[in-house]
Amino acid sequence: MKSDKFIVLATVLLAAIYWFATEQIKESLIGDPIGPKAIPRLLIIGLLIAAFLLWLETLAGTKAKAREQASNQAVPGDSSAPEGPKGIRGYFFIAAMVLSTLGYFFVFNWLGYAVATALYLFALMTIFNPGKSTANVLTATGFSLGSYLAFSRFFGVQIPAGVLPF
Amino acid sequence: METFNHIINGFGVALMPINLWYTFVGVLIGTIVGILPGIGPSASIALLIPVTYGMDPASGLIMMAGVYYGTKYGGSTTAILIRTPGEAASVMTSIDGYEMARNGRAGAALAISAIGSFIAGTLGVVALTLFAVPLASTALKFGPAEYFTLMLFALTAVASLSGKSPAKGLLSTILGLMIATIGIDLQSGQQRFTAGIAEFQDGIGFIVVVVGMFALAEVFRGLEKIHTGTSDPAMRITGKLWITKEEWRRSKGPIWRGSILGFLIGILPGAGGTIASLLSYSTEKRLSKNPEEFGKGAIEGVAGPEAANNSDTAGAMVPLLTLGVPGGGATAVMMGAFIMHGIQPGPLLFQNRPDLVWGLIDSMYIGNVMLLILNLPLIGVFVRLLYIPSGILYPLIIAISVLGTFAINGSMVELYLVLFFGVLGYIFDKVEIPIPPLVLSLVLAGIMEQSFRQALTLSDGNPTVFVSSGISATLVFFSAVSLALPFLIPRLKLVKPEQD
Repeated sequence: MKSDKFIVLATVLLAAIYWFATEQIKESLIGDPIGPKAIPRLLIIGLLIAAFLLWLETLAGTKAKAREQASNQAVPGDSSAPEGPKGIRGYFFIAAMVLSTLGYFFVFNWLGYAVATALYLFALMTIFNPGKSTANVLTATGFSLGSYLAFSRFFGVQIPAGVLPF
Repeated sequence: METFNHIINGFGVALMPINLWYTFVGVLIGTIVGILPGIGPSASIALLIPVTYGMDPASGLIMMAGVYYGTKYGGSTTAILIRTPGEAASVMTSIDGYEMARNGRAGAALAISAIGSFIAGTLGVVALTLFAVPLASTALKFGPAEYFTLMLFALTAVASLSGKSPAKGLLSTILGLMIATIGIDLQSGQQRFTAGIAEFQDGIGFIVVVVGMFALAEVFRGLEKIHTGTSDPAMRITGKLWITKEEWRRSKGPIWRGSILGFLIGILPGAGGTIASLLSYSTEKRLSKNPEEFGKGAIEGVAGPEAANNSDTAGAMVPLLTLGVPGGGATAVMMGAFIMHGIQPGPLLFQNRPDLVWGLIDSMYIGNVMLLILNLPLIGVFVRLLYIPSGILYPLIIAISVLGTFAINGSMVELYLVLFFGVLGYIFDKVEIPIPPLVLSLVLAGIMEQSFRQALTLSDGNPTVFVSSGISATLVFFSAVSLALPFLIPRLKLVKPEQD
């Protein structure tokens, strides 16, 4: 798979960053023969082994595909084919989800859990359950207020009240 | 005799009204979670942990165990009615179960699934009762080196068996161990990878990782599906919710065989309910006089796998309770729940807290009876859950995840981390990196590093300590074999035809 090559590269890059960060850890060997850097160093070796094995798997996959190609002269459903509009739409979708959730977190303390959650839920439900505004409003506000009261009153959990007076 | 007394006392704990209530709540949530797509047992147990803080640990753990085995019952309902397994282990049930439903035998498929699950679940708990004490007594002889190699074996087995690529399983395991190194190193007091963020000093909580990678990532995938418009309509329950004499005759054997197979596979780390049900299905197909019926609505193809994936849950509790080593994602979260309640699972648990451990095991007998009742006469009520629009359900799961995470420490940093791990889980799914090895290594990392360093301290830094005893040498050997085999088997397969 094309993505596997990126995973190999990303793993090697991560190993380099992790190695750099490991070297910043202060050593303290009192009563400890190996110190706090030992396990992270072993993990760097583990990461590189995983990257190497994945690279071998990618090579084996490429060879198998080449053999298949030679025998069939055509490869239906080639996984390394460029992604269609559906794949790109997926990336936009996840980016939009992340941004909207970040927005929800930004107003979480200011508006309070109940109001922020109700607005966030209503927005998502309007997009993913369109044409049912009454059900969406009732579910969003009912769940937000109900869970706020249950957790703050019944379980005694500190949840931001925000603009709510209670 | 002493064990027998503990078992009886355990029933005393399990039958206390408060614990009966929490068993019921647990199995009810488990059934609902199993039926609903979008949230699996691991995330549900993780989300329940904050709710159980104020409870007696026995009650909290009884409820979370109820969720764990309850999901197995509920998972078959969606597998049969919409060909979408509510949880991964029901995937084999969806083949013949859905075909039975299409042939107008949905009621019989649901009934045999519930009966098979009940018999297998109960047999599994009987086996757990019998196995637990001997295994715990053996584990008491383990020192730090044996513990480290045992956990090493668990991690390598899970890494090798999860997903299609063993290299990706290994990568996931290492990433989990790396996440666990963030925070103050308890032995030296030094900070590791905290980047100056105060919240990171205590490490990254496993709930944050589990909720993000299991619940949030699943919601992202589900919402993406709605976005691209791909889902199967739910079948109506047709036919009587009972089985004929002939169907029972055909199902008895598969249920017994599935129960034994599921329990044995459950004990092994990494294998889990999906492999148990897969093996049960292929066994029944091989043994059947009419193998051509499989895939077209054979009741054996529902009875066997359902039994296997239910007794697997009892099998999975064996290493968790007796050795303190979970064998998969959901039991890893269960172990996290034990630790958050200040209880370390393992052999000493049977000595120090027999009331808790036997109360928990005995509650599983009661829970299985409750599940049979919930999943036979009341199944029609639960099936209505399938008609909740996903566009309402998924946003609610996000809100529950946020609330559950925030309720633990009231930390906004943890909310951002949940989102980060949610995106990471979504990406892992896209590039086919398995998530359970990461969660398992995250939960085991602390005790694993502690055992590693203790063993080296006791041996004055001599690394041969890890192969000096028979037990640890054997476990190191098995770890190496479990890592190497997945890479060697395809090569052997490639070489063989050339030799021929």
